[in-house]
Amino acid sequence: MNKIEERLWNYIDGTCSEDEQKAISILIEQDEAYRLKYEELIALNQQFSKMEMDEPSMAFTYNVMEGIRAEYAQKPLKAMIDKRIIKGITFFFIFTILLLMIYVLSTVHLSGSSLAVHLPNSVKLPEMKNYFTGPVIKGFLFFDVVLGLFLFDAYLRKRSVSKQV
Amino acid sequence: MQSKLSDIELIEQTLGGNQAAYADLVRRHQRFVFTLAMRFSKNRENAEEIAQDCFIKAYRSLSAFQRQSKFSTWLYSIVYTTSMTFLRKKRVDTDSIDDENTYIQFENQASGFDNNLAENKSRSYYLNLAIGQLLPDDAAIITLFYMGEQSLEEIGRTMDMEANTVKVKLFRARQRLKEKLELSLKDEVKELI
Repeated sequence: MNKIEERLWNYIDGTCSEDEQKAISILIEQDEAYRLKYEELIALNQQFSKMEMDEPSMAFTYNVMEGIRAEYAQKPLKAMIDKRIIKGITFFFIFTILLLMIYVLSTVHLSGSSLAVHLPNSVKLPEMKNYFTGPVIKGFLFFDVVLGLFLFDAYLRKRSVSKQV
Repeated sequence: MQSKLSDIELIEQTLGGNQAAYADLVRRHQRFVFTLAMRFSKNRENAEEIAQDCFIKAYRSLSAFQRQSKFSTWLYSIVYTTSMTFLRKKRVDTDSIDDENTYIQFENQASGFDNNLAENKSRSYYLNLAIGQLLPDDAAIITLFYMGEQSLEEIGRTMDMEANTVKVKLFRARQRLKEKLELSLKDEVKELI
């Protein structure tokens, strides 16, 4: 019986070959068992086709759209920034550094063992000696030590937290 | 009122930043998505949660939709995956997913009809009742085939199966549904006598 049903469902769905289709239609006409089963399955098929869909709540669409809005509102600022802006800034800095490098290299004159850099007259470099006075260096080193200790402390705290987890 | 634009046109508008177009798309497909989710969750609250989750997921990956298949097929595959994940999350173990008896009792399948006894006793009511007693996969195949008007190939794409496997599964699902329906109607006749 299962075989008959299977063949008939294929016939109803139109998933069998043309030859099989013809053979089954002849069987339905001539064979009583096939005809009765066919009528039963056709009735069942019609009933299945009339199934009704369930209806979600009235606020369904609103809830979906709210969910989408909430998700996008919660996104961190980092994710909202257009990557093209970041790429643009990166390109600007790389371009500027390259320009400076080219300019500096073009002004360097290598002759024998001496190295001479000829800057334009309008550009005056500050005297570096003035900056490396005693108190300035001490202050700078003190700041570095404090900063180093602070970073080391942060690193140790992070390590202890990750160990606890 | 629903938009007369095609799914693809609405998708293009959505990708262009028009969220109202996506709301139209949701309105167009929400009944079927909800019905399909009901086949897995068996209760309205969870089905609504699954359906909403599916639409949000679809929105998130709308730009990845290749347009090689219908939007509905793509959306239904999201529903199928999300529903299966939901079943697993709810700690329904593998046995119970495949165990028909687990689904004999289901909650509020035809809740809208409960107040009307005459309507409850209709054949459509018993059909819904019988579908609720099927395994999620069987119920989903029947729903996709008859309500979603999906071809065997499209159902295969949705459920990640070969079309021939779907054909066999559909045949078995119809047989089981027929049996459940006959059983329900027999009980009803007994009740009336």
